[in-house]
Amino acid sequence: MTNEIGGNEPDDITRLLRERLPRHQAPAGLRVSVVEALDPPKGRRRPSLWLAPALSALATAMVMLLWLAPALPRSTPDQMERLSRAVMSEYARAVFAGEVSPETLPAALPRVMRDSGVLLSWVFTGDADIRLVNAQPAYLEGRPGLALTYQDRAGHSISYIVAHGPNVAIPERERVQIARWRPAVRTEEGLSLIVWKQSGLVCVMVSDLVSADDLGRFKEYFVKVRSATEVSPSY
Amino acid sequence: MPPEPVVADDEFRQQALRHIDALYNLALYLTRNGSEAEDLVQETYARALRFSHRFEPGTYMRAWMFQILRNTFLTFYRLREREPALSEAGVPDGEAPMFHHAPAEDGESAGAHMDLERALGRIPEEFRTPLLLAEVEGLSLEEVARIMDCPVGTVKSRIFRAKERLRALLKDYGGQD
Repeated sequence: MTNEIGGNEPDDITRLLRERLPRHQAPAGLRVSVVEALDPPKGRRRPSLWLAPALSALATAMVMLLWLAPALPRSTPDQMERLSRAVMSEYARAVFAGEVSPETLPAALPRVMRDSGVLLSWVFTGDADIRLVNAQPAYLEGRPGLALTYQDRAGHSISYIVAHGPNVAIPERERVQIARWRPAVRTEEGLSLIVWKQSGLVCVMVSDLVSADDLGRFKEYFVKVRSATEVSPSY
Repeated sequence: MPPEPVVADDEFRQQALRHIDALYNLALYLTRNGSEAEDLVQETYARALRFSHRFEPGTYMRAWMFQILRNTFLTFYRLREREPALSEAGVPDGEAPMFHHAPAEDGESAGAHMDLERALGRIPEEFRTPLLLAEVEGLSLEEVARIMDCPVGTVKSRIFRAKERLRALLKDYGGQD
C-alpha cells in the first residue's frame, strides 16, 4: 500500500491535489443569483398590500391581450415552420451523406467548428445507446451552423444541428418539460424535432423517431446531448 | 398545513453563502461543465433554502450543503454518468471517456496532454467525490461517509482506489513527475 488513508503524512496524490488542482471560484453572476434567491426583496415577504391591484392589472392585461390577439402579427408559427423545413432538409442531407467513421471525427470536428463559427466546448460522443458518427457544416435559412449525426442501436439517425440564430421565438404552447429543460417538440412529415435556444444559437435535434415509444427514446437522447454539449458562437 | 419557510434567517443565509466557492468547485468537478455546475449550485441553494428548517444549528453546514449538492447531482445529472466501476485490479481495459473535450487544433491528441483535472474527470463519481471531499475540502472521513451515505470503511477504500486510479492515469499520460 503506497498510502495510508487518514495517516499523518500526505501521500503523493494528496499533495498533488492540494498543490496543483485548480480551485474554481463561483462566478460573480452565480453569486448574485444565489444571494437573490436567499434574500428575496423585502416586499415579497408581505405581498398582500400589492397583490390585489397587481392581479387586477394582470387580469385587465390578459383581457386586452385576448381582445387584440387576432390583430397581432403571427410571425412565430411561420418562423418555426421555416426553421422546421430547413432542419428537415439538413437532416435528409446528413442521412444521405452516409456514415463517417467515428475515428475521423476528432480531426474533422475542429474544421467543421471553424467553418461554421459554432464552438463546441464539450461534445457528447455517445454511449451504449447512441454514438456520434458524423460532423459536417450545415445551413439553416442561409445561416451557417454545424450538424452532428448520431446513430442509435436500432439504426435510427439523429441529427443535432446548431446554427447562428434565425431569430426564432420558441412558441410557448409547443414547449414540453424534458428533465430540466423546456424545448419545443413537434412532429412533421414523419420526423420529430426538438427545438431550443442555447447561448444565442438555435439548436435542433431531429430524427425519424415519431411513435410514442420512439419519442420517449428521442427525449432521452435529447437529455444526453443537451446535458453534455456546450455550445457558443465563436464570432 | 404548516407554512414552508421560504426566507432564510440571516444566520442561515450568511453561513450558507460562505460555502459557495467550495460548492461550485465540487460541482464543476462533478459535472465537468461550467453552466451545468452553476445550475447545480443554484439548485443546491434552492433546496437548502426549502429544507432550511431541517438544518440543525450547531451541526456542520458545509457537509450538509455538500450532501444536498451530491444528492441533487445524482437526481438530475447522473443520467449522463455511465462510467464503468473501477476493477479491483485498477484501471479497466479499453475504457473510453464518455465526454470528450473538443480538440482545439486539427489532429491534436488531447489525451496525450491530459492534466490533473482531466485525469480526475475520468474517475467514476463515487470515487471522485470522496477523494475531493476528503483530500481537497478537508472533510473528515465520518463527514464524507455521511455525505456519501456509506460506511467509513467504504469511504477509505474508495479514496484509496481513486488515488491508485489517478496515479495510474497520470503515469500513463506522463502528467506526474
